[in-house]
Amino acid sequence: MSVENFLILGLGWAGIFLPTALGAIGSIVGCARAGQAACGALLDVESGYGRLVGASALPSSQTIYGIVVTMQLNRQVSVEASPGLFALGVLVGLALLCSAVLQGSCVASAINASKSKPEVFGLAIAPAAIVEGFAVFAFIFGLIISGGIPGTLAG
Amino acid sequence: MPTATNYYMLVASLPRMPRTFEVEQVPISRLRLQQRLEMLNEEDTTTVQQMQEFLLWDRQHPDRTDTEVLQEYEQLMQRVRNVLARKIIVYRMDVRTITCGLRRRRLGMDPPSGVGQWVQAIRENWEHPDFRLARQHPWIPLVRGYMEAHQPLQTERQLLLAIWNQWTRLADRYYFSFETILLYLARWEIVDRWTRLNESLGRQHFESLLTEALGEHARFPQ
Repeated sequence: MSVENFLILGLGWAGIFLPTALGAIGSIVGCARAGQAACGALLDVESGYGRLVGASALPSSQTIYGIVVTMQLNRQVSVEASPGLFALGVLVGLALLCSAVLQGSCVASAINASKSKPEVFGLAIAPAAIVEGFAVFAFIFGLIISGGIPGTLAG
Repeated sequence: MPTATNYYMLVASLPRMPRTFEVEQVPISRLRLQQRLEMLNEEDTTTVQQMQEFLLWDRQHPDRTDTEVLQEYEQLMQRVRNVLARKIIVYRMDVRTITCGLRRRRLGMDPPSGVGQWVQAIRENWEHPDFRLARQHPWIPLVRGYMEAHQPLQTERQLLLAIWNQWTRLADRYYFSFETILLYLARWEIVDRWTRLNESLGRQHFESLLTEALGEHARFPQ
């Protein structure tokens, strides 16, 4: 096998796992931010603890989307399939990473806003839900596009 | 290696700052606030202490000379590295210098030898009612008016309002960062100062009412 082919195949393998890896990195950062804000808010509120901590788990969905895309991309890696696998994997992964990180900031803001006005919690969490919507777009269209990549699905 | 401050946790742990400083009590007690600030790392703690020391200047050493204030200010500005903390100190000092100018002129004194970027402008425009600074500091005509009307409480309120508005405008730009903490502290100091002012006035008012109602009997035996 030539060095070029080795690199191309390597990128193909990376492309398969990138949606999961980048989605997980985003979820780690997003959940950490939102979780830290929830912990801070716990010091200032007298009730509604479960809601605050529960909301901080919202950015974890990007990892699940990443896993599903990875499973969809997981196929026989060939020189023909690798460019498509890498391009799709890196782009979907980046979209999931950004959405998870920024969703964490949205949730942190929602927690901060709703601790003194609990009645606005539903509305305050709406921006986080909108960000989630964009992650879903990237996820769905990633799945659709992956159908055009050559190679038989593994498993 | 310095530890990182968890700003998300710290900001979320602070009670909401009221929309106005004219409230009956501070959103969080000084003791509780200091406890929360223990979440800051060493570098941030130093900056916060430097800024808090400066914000307490108004209540300390009224017999300090202008030269002493100038020296302390220059030393402080050499130590403070954070851009926003410097901005807060400079603005607060500008307000002090301009107010000092207004008061000295009313008393027929010479222009202040204070510090800040407007000292020269004050000297050059000493005869102008607002030192030609009303565009940069729109609060000057109002404060001057209250001073001339001998309304010290309204003067103080207007000064605090000018500073409060400045910090609130800046606070809109930051969310979960050290700057958010600095601006929270700067506004907390204003609320604290106003509530103390109100408390002191309220006590005086209560005592005068008591004296009025009970006359000599209002005096408790020693």
